[in-house]
Amino acid sequence: MAAYQLPQWAALAPALLLALTGLVLFLIDSISPRSTDRTLLAGTAAVGALASLAVAVWFTAAGVGTPTVDGGEGVIEIFDGQFVVDQLALYFMIVVTIVTALIVVASYDYLAGHTYQAEYYSLVVLAATGMATVAAANSLVTIFIALELTSLPSYALVAILKDNRGSVEAGLKYFLIGALSSAIFVYGISLVYGATGVLQLDSIAEVIADGGADGFGGLLGLGILMLLGGIAFKTASVPFHFWAPEAYEGAPAPISAFLSSASKAAGFVIAFRVFNVAFPLGEIGNVIGFDWTVAFVVLAIVTMTVGNFAAATQENVKRMLAYSSIGHAGYALIGLAGLSADGGELVMGAALMHLLVYGFMNTGAFLFVALAEHWGVGRTFEDYNGLSSQAPVACGAMAVFLFSLAGIPPFGGFFSKYFLFTGALQAATANTAMLAVAAALVVNSALSLYYYSRLVKALWIEDPPATRDRLGQPTGLYAAIVVAAVMTIVILPGFGPVAEAATGAAEALVN
Amino acid sequence: MVGTGAGPFSYAPAIALFPLAAFVISLVFGRQLPKKGAIPGIFATAASLLFSLWMFATVAGGETYHETLYEWSAGAVTTEVGAEEIAFSFGLLIDPLSALMLVIVSLVAFLVHVFSLGYMNDEGETGLPRYYASLGLFTFSMLAFVYADNLLMAFMFFELVGLCSYLLIGFWFRTKSAPSAAKKAFLVTRFGDYFFLIGVVAIASTFGTVAFAGEESFVVAAETAIEDGTTLFGFDAQTWVTITGLLVLGGVIGKSAQFPLHTWLPDAMEGPTTVSALIHAATMVAAGVYLVARMFGYYALSPTALSIIAFVGGFTALFAATMGVVKDDIKQVLAYSTISQYGYMMLGMGVGGYVAGVFHLMNHAFFKALLFLGSGAVIVLMHHEQDMWKMGGLKDKAPITYYTFLAGALALAGIVPFSGFWSKDEVLFDALIVGLEEPVILAAYAMGLLAVFFTGFYTFRMVFLTFHGEPRTETAEDPHGVGWSIKAPLVVLGLLAALVGFVNLAPIAKVAGMDITFLEYWLDGEYGYVEGLTYHHYHEMVAFEEGYIGSETTTMLLSAGLSLGLALAGAFAAHTLYNVPEPKRHTTKLGGAYTVLRNNYYQDEYQVWLAEGLTLPLARTADLFDRSVIDGAVDGVSGASLFGSSWVKRIQTGLVTNYAALIVAGFIALLLGLGLYGGWF
Repeated sequence: MAAYQLPQWAALAPALLLALTGLVLFLIDSISPRSTDRTLLAGTAAVGALASLAVAVWFTAAGVGTPTVDGGEGVIEIFDGQFVVDQLALYFMIVVTIVTALIVVASYDYLAGHTYQAEYYSLVVLAATGMATVAAANSLVTIFIALELTSLPSYALVAILKDNRGSVEAGLKYFLIGALSSAIFVYGISLVYGATGVLQLDSIAEVIADGGADGFGGLLGLGILMLLGGIAFKTASVPFHFWAPEAYEGAPAPISAFLSSASKAAGFVIAFRVFNVAFPLGEIGNVIGFDWTVAFVVLAIVTMTVGNFAAATQENVKRMLAYSSIGHAGYALIGLAGLSADGGELVMGAALMHLLVYGFMNTGAFLFVALAEHWGVGRTFEDYNGLSSQAPVACGAMAVFLFSLAGIPPFGGFFSKYFLFTGALQAATANTAMLAVAAALVVNSALSLYYYSRLVKALWIEDPPATRDRLGQPTGLYAAIVVAAVMTIVILPGFGPVAEAATGAAEALVN
Repeated sequence: MVGTGAGPFSYAPAIALFPLAAFVISLVFGRQLPKKGAIPGIFATAASLLFSLWMFATVAGGETYHETLYEWSAGAVTTEVGAEEIAFSFGLLIDPLSALMLVIVSLVAFLVHVFSLGYMNDEGETGLPRYYASLGLFTFSMLAFVYADNLLMAFMFFELVGLCSYLLIGFWFRTKSAPSAAKKAFLVTRFGDYFFLIGVVAIASTFGTVAFAGEESFVVAAETAIEDGTTLFGFDAQTWVTITGLLVLGGVIGKSAQFPLHTWLPDAMEGPTTVSALIHAATMVAAGVYLVARMFGYYALSPTALSIIAFVGGFTALFAATMGVVKDDIKQVLAYSTISQYGYMMLGMGVGGYVAGVFHLMNHAFFKALLFLGSGAVIVLMHHEQDMWKMGGLKDKAPITYYTFLAGALALAGIVPFSGFWSKDEVLFDALIVGLEEPVILAAYAMGLLAVFFTGFYTFRMVFLTFHGEPRTETAEDPHGVGWSIKAPLVVLGLLAALVGFVNLAPIAKVAGMDITFLEYWLDGEYGYVEGLTYHHYHEMVAFEEGYIGSETTTMLLSAGLSLGLALAGAFAAHTLYNVPEPKRHTTKLGGAYTVLRNNYYQDEYQVWLAEGLTLPLARTADLFDRSVIDGAVDGVSGASLFGSSWVKRIQTGLVTNYAALIVAGFIALLLGLGLYGGWF
C-alpha cells in the first residue's frame, strides 16, 4: 500500500509517539521547572495524542492487521512476537488516544492555577503510552510491564490534588488495592508459566494444544483465574471494583474520565487478547475442566447488578457515575461471556463497539462533572438543580451523554447496547446461561434509566437556587464536552465503519 | 390499456398538489393576501378542475393510468395466500371511475371556493386564512383519496379528510356547539375508521397486497383464493372476504353517515354552510360510498357483504327521511336528506347496481351542493337565520336563488326529468329485480321505495316554508342582497342538477331501444378501462339472480312509475299542507311519533349512554386496575430495587483493609465455585 516500506518497529508508532510526547513534556519541565504555561503544556500533550490518533487511524485505513488475503498488510509482529499490531491493537489505540485528547483539552481549564502542570500532563501521556502498549502486547511479560506503566502514573494522577484530602486518600487506596491486584496478576503469570513453560500468548496456546499442560490442569486453572483477577481490577469489575468509587470520586474529574474510559478499555484489551489467544475455548476446557466463559458469565451478571444497584440511590453525581462505570464494565464483559468454541465474534464486536461509544459518552459525562467542579456548584444532584437555565449547551450535551449511557435511541449507546443484547441472545443457542446475562442486561438498563434520568431531571426540570453566581464558559472544557456529545450522536450514522472495524477486530482474534 | 408515465398522465399528481399549494400559501401568507387566501384557493381548484377535465378527456380517448410513484416500505412477510413480500407505496390509478370523481370533486370544490367569497369574505368573517387553508387541505386530501391506487394510501387520505372536516366543522371554535360537533364528527367517524384500519391490516396480511387494480391486486388474489378453496385464517375464503370487507365497511358507514354511525352528520351543520356543501356533496361523506365503488370487485365476491350493504342502505334511506320530515332548521332538513340519499347509493351498490350507485353519487354531488349553497344564500338573505318558520315569501325577493333551489329540490325529490329521478329510479329498479329473487333485498327495496314519499314531502315542505307564502318575519320582508359570487355557482349547479341526469337515460334507452346510457358505457370501459374494474366484469362477479315482473321493460316502467308517483304524492302532500299563505305546524299532530322523530329516534341518547353508562365505568375499572395492580407491581419493583441499592451501597465501607479482605474473599469464592464446577476437588 505505502510507497515505501516502513521498518517493522514503526508499527508501534502510536505508542511511540505518545512516549515521545511524554519525553518532550519532561524536557519542557526541566528547562523551566516552574512553568505554568498551560497553553504550551496542554497543547503539546493534545498534539501528541492527536498525532498518535491520526497514525492509528491511518494504519487501520491502510489495512495494517487486515489479513493479506483481504488485500491488507497482515498482522505485524515485533520483537519476535512480543508485540503484535493487529486490528484489535489499533482499535484500542484509537479509543485510548481519543479519550486522552479529550481529557487533555478539558484539563486546560480544569488545572488553571494548579502547581504541577507539566507533571500532570506528562503522567497522563505516560499512562496513555502504557495503555497503547498494552493494546499491542502479546506476551504475559510485556503485558505486565505495560500494565504497570499504565497503573503507576494513574496512582499519582488520582492523588495529584495534594491539598485535597479526598484526592490523597483515594490515591492511597487505589495504590494499595492496585498493589494487591498486581500481586495476584503476577502470581497468575508465574503459575501459567509453571504449567506451560512459555510466556508468549500464542506459544501458550500451542503448548496447551500439544498437551504440554496436561496434568497441570488445576495449576493452570488457578493461574488463569488469577490473571482474571488482575484484569478485573483494571476494568473495575466486581469483586475487584472497590477502589473505583473512591478513586473516581477523589480524583480530579478529567482523571476520573480517563480512568473510567481509557484505563478500563486497556483492561478489556488484555482480557480479549489473553483469553482468546492464549487459552482457546474448547481446548482449554479439556485441561482445566471448564471453559473460562463461565467465569465471565458470573462476573458480567454480578458486575452489572452491583454497579447499577449501587448507583441507583447515590446522592453524589460523581459517585453515581463511578458506579455506573462499574455497571458498564459488566456490559462489556458480555463480549467475553458470549464467546464459544465456534464463534461469538458478533457479541465480542458489540463489546468493542460499546467500549468506543462509551469512550465518548462516559468521558463526556465526567467532563461535565469537571465543568461543575470548575464552576464550584457542588457535588450532589441537588446542587445541579436547574443548571440548564444558565448553561443550556453543556446541559444539553450532558442529557445526550446520560440518555446514551442509559441506551436510549437515537444515541450511540443504544446501538452498542442493542448489539450486545442481540449478540447475547444469539450466543444463548450455544450457552443457555447467556439468557440470564441478556435478562440481567435488560433489567439493569431499565434500572440505570432511573438514576440517569434523575440527573437529567435535576438539570432540566428543577428550579435553580436563587443564590447561584454567573457561570463561566471555559473554552477547553466546553470544546471537549461538545465534541464528545457530537460524536455520541454522529456515531450513529457512522456506525457502519465502526461496526465493521469492531467486528473485523473481533473476528481476527476469535478465529 | 394501462398507459405509461408519458403524456397527460404525468401531470396527474398536480391535480391534488394544486390545492396543497393553496393550503400552504393561505396558511403562510393568508393574512397579507387581498382576499385572505380565497384567490390561491380559487386558482388552485380551477387548475385542478382543468387538469381533471384533461384527464377525463384522455380517459375518454381510451387511455388509463396506473403507476406507483413512490414506494416507502417493502419487506418480506408471511401471508395466508403465500405471497412472500409486501410493498407499501403511493401510486395513482386513473380509470373511468376516478376520472369522473376527480371532475366532480374539483368542480364542487371550485364552486364552493367561489361561493365562499360571498358567504365568508363579504360577511366579514374572521380567521379566513385558516378557513381557506383548511379548504385547500380538504380538497387535496379528497383528490388524493380519489385516485389512490391502493387501500393503505386510500386509508391515509381518508383519515386526512376526516381531520379536515374536524377543522372545518369546528371553524367557529369560540361558540359552544361547533367544537363539540367537530369532536363528535371526529370521534364517530374514527370509531368506524378503527374497523377500516383493522380491515386494511387484515387484507394486507391475508393477500400480501393492498393494490386496487391489476394482477397483483387483493381483489384478484381474493378471487383466486375463493376459486382454489383456500382456507384463510381458519375460515373458508369467501367468509374471510366477507369479514374483511365488512371491516372496511366500518369506515364507509362512519364516513358516509349510515345507520348507526350517522349521528355526527346533523351536528356537523355547525360548520359554515359552504363547508357543509363540500362535506356532503363531494368530499367527506362521498368518500365512504366512493370507497365501496373503488373496491367494488372485492364486495362483489361476497353476496353476504353486498346484502348487508343494501339492507343498511335501504334502512338508512327510510330512517333518515322520516327524521327529515319534522326539522325546522333548513340545514337540518338537508342534513337528513344527505344521510337518506347516501342510503340510496349504498342500496344501489349493495344490489350490484354499480352504475346506478355511481350515477346517484354524481347527481347527488351536484344537487346537494346546489341545495346547500342555496340554503347558504337563503341564510345570507335572512341575516343568518336558519329557522324555516321565520322565512317565507322569498320567492319574489330572490328569484335566482329560488329557481336554482327549486331545481335542486326537484332533483332531490326525484321528479322527472331532473337528475335525481333518473339515478334514484335506476337504484330502485336494480334493487327490485334482485329483490324479486332475494327477500332481504326486497325488504331493502321496500324501505327505499317508501323513503321516496318522505323525500318528496320534506323537500317540498322545505321549499314551501322557505320561499312560498307570506313573509313571517321582518327579515324575510326585507332580505339582504347577494352578489355574483353567490349567484354564479348556483346557476352552474342549477343547470347541472337539471341536466346531468341525461347522461344515463336507462328507461328511455330500454323503451326506445336507443344507445344513450353513456355513463354505463363509460364505466363499462367503452372508452378507456383498467382490466378488472369495469361494470361488465363486476356484473359477472355478483352472484345475485335477477327476476322480472312480466318483461324487463314492464318491470322497469312499473318501478319508475311507482317511485315517481310516490315522489309526486309526497310533494303534493307538502303542497296542500304548506303552500298556503299562513302555514301551520302540522307535524306536531303526529303526537308521540313527532316526539320520537324530533329526538331522532333517541339515537344520540343511546350512544351517549353507551359512552357514559358502559364505556366510562369500564374505563374507570381499567384505570383502577392500572393504578392498583400495575402501578403497585411497578412501584414494588422499584421499591425493592432502591432497597437493594441502599444495601449494596453499604458494602463500600471506606476502609481499605475491608476492601482487601472482600477482594480476597470474593476471589476465593469464585475459585471455589469454579473449582467445584470444573471438578478440581
